[in-house]
Amino acid sequence: MRKNNRIQTTGVYALLILVALVSIFPFLWMVSSSFKSDSNVFSATPSLFSDMLFRKDMFRNYQVVLKEFQFSRYILNSLFVSLSCAIGQVLVCSLAGFAFAKMKFRGKNFVFSFLLMTMMIPVQVTIIPEYFLMMSFGWIDSFLPLIVPSFLAGAFGTFMYKEFFEVVPQPLFDAGIIDGVGAFGMFSRIYFPLTASPTVTLFIIAFMNAWNGLLRPMLYISTDKLQTVTLALTAFQSQYDTQWNLLLAGSVISILPLLILFVFCQRYIIESAMGSGVKG
Amino acid sequence: MRRRKLCWHGPLTPWLFLLPTVIGLLVFRAIPVGAAFYLGFTRWSLLNNPVFIGLRNYKEAFASATFFKVVTNTVVFSLIYVVGVMVVSLAFALLINRKLKGINFFRAALYLPVITSAVAVGIVWNWILGPQYGILNIILTKLGITPPYWLGDPRLALLSVSVVQVWKMAGYYMILFLAGLQNMPHEVLEAATVDGAKPFQKFFHVTLPLLSPTTFFVLTVAIIDSFHNFELIYTMTKGGPQNATDTLVYDVYLNGFVNYRNGYASAVAFVLLIFVGVLTLMNFYIKKKWVTQG
Amino acid sequence: MKKTVASLLVFICLAASVFANGTKETKPVSSDTSTPVTLEWWSWDPSLKEKNEALIKQFEAKNPGIKVNLATASTSEYWTKIRILANQKKLPDVFTMSSGYIEEWRKSNLMLNLDSYINNDPDINDFYKSLIDAGKTISGGDRYVAMPFALVTTVLFYNKGMFDAAGLSYPTADWTWDDFLNAAKKLTIDKDGDGKIDQWGFWRYGRYAQVEPWVYADGGNLIDRSKMRFAPDANAMETLKFLTDLTLKYHVAPTQKEMSDVRNQDIFPKGLAAMWVDGSWFIDNNRNVADPSMRWGITTVPVGPHGQKGIVYGWPDYYAIAPNAKHPDAAWKLLKYIAGQGQTADMFMAGKIPSYKPLATSSTFNDPSKQPAEISILTQQAAQTMKTSFTMGWSEWRGYGAAANLGLNSILDSIINGDMSFDEGMSKADKNINSVLARYYN
Repeated sequence: MRKNNRIQTTGVYALLILVALVSIFPFLWMVSSSFKSDSNVFSATPSLFSDMLFRKDMFRNYQVVLKEFQFSRYILNSLFVSLSCAIGQVLVCSLAGFAFAKMKFRGKNFVFSFLLMTMMIPVQVTIIPEYFLMMSFGWIDSFLPLIVPSFLAGAFGTFMYKEFFEVVPQPLFDAGIIDGVGAFGMFSRIYFPLTASPTVTLFIIAFMNAWNGLLRPMLYISTDKLQTVTLALTAFQSQYDTQWNLLLAGSVISILPLLILFVFCQRYIIESAMGSGVKG
Repeated sequence: MRRRKLCWHGPLTPWLFLLPTVIGLLVFRAIPVGAAFYLGFTRWSLLNNPVFIGLRNYKEAFASATFFKVVTNTVVFSLIYVVGVMVVSLAFALLINRKLKGINFFRAALYLPVITSAVAVGIVWNWILGPQYGILNIILTKLGITPPYWLGDPRLALLSVSVVQVWKMAGYYMILFLAGLQNMPHEVLEAATVDGAKPFQKFFHVTLPLLSPTTFFVLTVAIIDSFHNFELIYTMTKGGPQNATDTLVYDVYLNGFVNYRNGYASAVAFVLLIFVGVLTLMNFYIKKKWVTQG
Repeated sequence: MKKTVASLLVFICLAASVFANGTKETKPVSSDTSTPVTLEWWSWDPSLKEKNEALIKQFEAKNPGIKVNLATASTSEYWTKIRILANQKKLPDVFTMSSGYIEEWRKSNLMLNLDSYINNDPDINDFYKSLIDAGKTISGGDRYVAMPFALVTTVLFYNKGMFDAAGLSYPTADWTWDDFLNAAKKLTIDKDGDGKIDQWGFWRYGRYAQVEPWVYADGGNLIDRSKMRFAPDANAMETLKFLTDLTLKYHVAPTQKEMSDVRNQDIFPKGLAAMWVDGSWFIDNNRNVADPSMRWGITTVPVGPHGQKGIVYGWPDYYAIAPNAKHPDAAWKLLKYIAGQGQTADMFMAGKIPSYKPLATSSTFNDPSKQPAEISILTQQAAQTMKTSFTMGWSEWRGYGAAANLGLNSILDSIINGDMSFDEGMSKADKNINSVLARYYN
């Protein structure tokens, strides 16, 4: 029985390593190719080891991408846009979630179901009228169209906050009423400070979505200096579509901030996904 | 006084809290959906104002072979994606649902593709699937197999792109299934083991039925998610070769912002909306019949 | 309620624009009464921004009453942005126009009629008349709506080193298809004997600038202009068949998939193919990519069995004036200057030909110290008969830009790759392309 178990465990590990490899290999291959020179990239016998690694100019591809192609600037743009989206969503969704969870008013169900319904609508359905709207606002070629729509209608975040606020223990609420706290005070002083977990979760999700979004930056941004890193990467791709070492260095740079976020907030990211699953 | 007890806030307070959300819903959701409906009946190249042309766009779409292809592509992509992602992620979840040393590392590794941008994923897979210097084809050549042109062959391109999307998203659904597995009543599973059920039997007769609420949830999310393929298609194939990877979502972009046919693109967008709506309704209808209530 | 919503929106916009420090106003601010005329000029070439600004300074010095504001967008965004301006009736006074869109814009009356200027301004003699007329033809109207500033055309590039090594004499304007094919066969070489070709005789795929030059040099036409249908005539079909046969039958050119790991424009300068037909603007890329020791030249595209000399595939880029320009005379002055006198040779990417004769024939433009030595061919072509297949919806049916994987481009690639037969591809092209054209012309 015991021996059987050990064989089973070994088998499980072998399988785990195999699937983990399938899922990580493209990243390893991306990183390793980004440290290769031009001639090394196009080699009929590819090797995982890069010819420029641990040499004097090992970061040359990265330097080219960051400086000559201004990726450092694009990273800053993306940071700005993604942070704005994330902060905005936290503010707007927590307010709305609180109203849905704790207040009684006519039309509540209607607005809430409508909000949830919008989750299903792909952005492509509304993008053409939205484009016209942005055009008439005079917002084309600014960060506003990237920030404001995601800022204002975050169905997922609202849903999450609502669920969270609904299970906050009643005594806290009663204490607030006794102290004569107004509606906004109740939210900002009693309820919102409890939301560390959903707030971090929503923040990360909103940040990632904004960071990875392509359609809106592609349509709305045309000034080179205002490009987000995802947009710049596609532009780079169409211009240098076969300079794989540079292109992959750019890709690594574009996902690095997310990787860092993932490493530090893994618990939140994965548990938020798990949480949404249980609700089903 | 009594009123206050019933309601601790003023009648307008909730709307104050909801103001940004309601504005957002109106300005960026309700009005654009309505506008898309209207624009679907117009011809509009952006150069002038939209011209009302009745049902011409819809007539054109339903008479056109390309549009038929686009709809087929959408269905095929969604099918491969939904089935692929569900099977793979359930397998991953079963594999990862145990207390072993380092399991968190494996969990994170499998989740990694989920957080990376579709653009970066598309670029690296372009490199891997390259016909000459792509690592996959180099390996296939070494094994003596004639390597295919994954993204340039009209018969293979859609399959390649959807499989990459499965690769990217499987980790997400794995976590959903994992949550479902961990919330399952242990007693039932243990009882089945005591009764001498084989692992295989246990999986099909106990685990799977118990998991059905989660499975349904995963199915719903996966179906909606299967329409989020714009980024990957844009970076990998740009809808080609010969519309082989042109889906509804991509076709809206292509017609609206490449060919500047915003009226027609709006009609396509509306067909997309109907698609999503019907699928969602179907989903809830099936749920009633299908999910085993625990 | 409406008011509240509206003012809130305004508030949100304001708040957000404080955040978005990158937002900029494009409106010109000119309250100075001593400069009565301010012109807006839009260009699609960001790499020329500084040179264009220097040009404006000179223009302003020469024309004290006129002030010019320049806005530059990259080509890919230019069209969407300028369409929005057209939609809002805010077109800049002078803007860049391409052959691909000129017909659509002319039909929508978005460019000022230039007849009176072009017919009466004596300075017009400094420009190639063939280009000015080509613009009129391509726009499909009976009036001049745009003034060309540059021409691009198509040439045969060849690798002199490879020709020498094979003991072949260089291609000339007298070459026939047979001469071309013979050379291509001799230049297709498996150098290391591993069964894989290392040096191809020729490179092409489905791209417009690689296909259409052959069609016109064989006297063919892709479009039947009387019916506005895609209907390749016998000569065009002969050419398309010949081009696909170069891979399928003669094996002197690689398939598209065999070369997809190298950028199209790098295949020739990297020495992977000995000959190549494409746009003259790639001279610049050849100079940058090719090894300095590589010797290469250009000549005209070989004339087909049914073709005649002196017909080239080329098209101009233009400047147009907004139909509602407040100061058309000043705008014309600016247009004439930026299309002609104001330009310098370094503003032309090597291989683009100025429409302004004094510059095109100057020694600074035809720099003999740089390859190719045969650069004067370009100015010869500028004076010849120009043919194109531009129509409305051209980029859609031809497969250009963001749609490069679609349209005729993709069908030709599939034929070359062996995914479908020539006849199958052509009947598909007939169906698809004509459904696009029918939308625009019926």
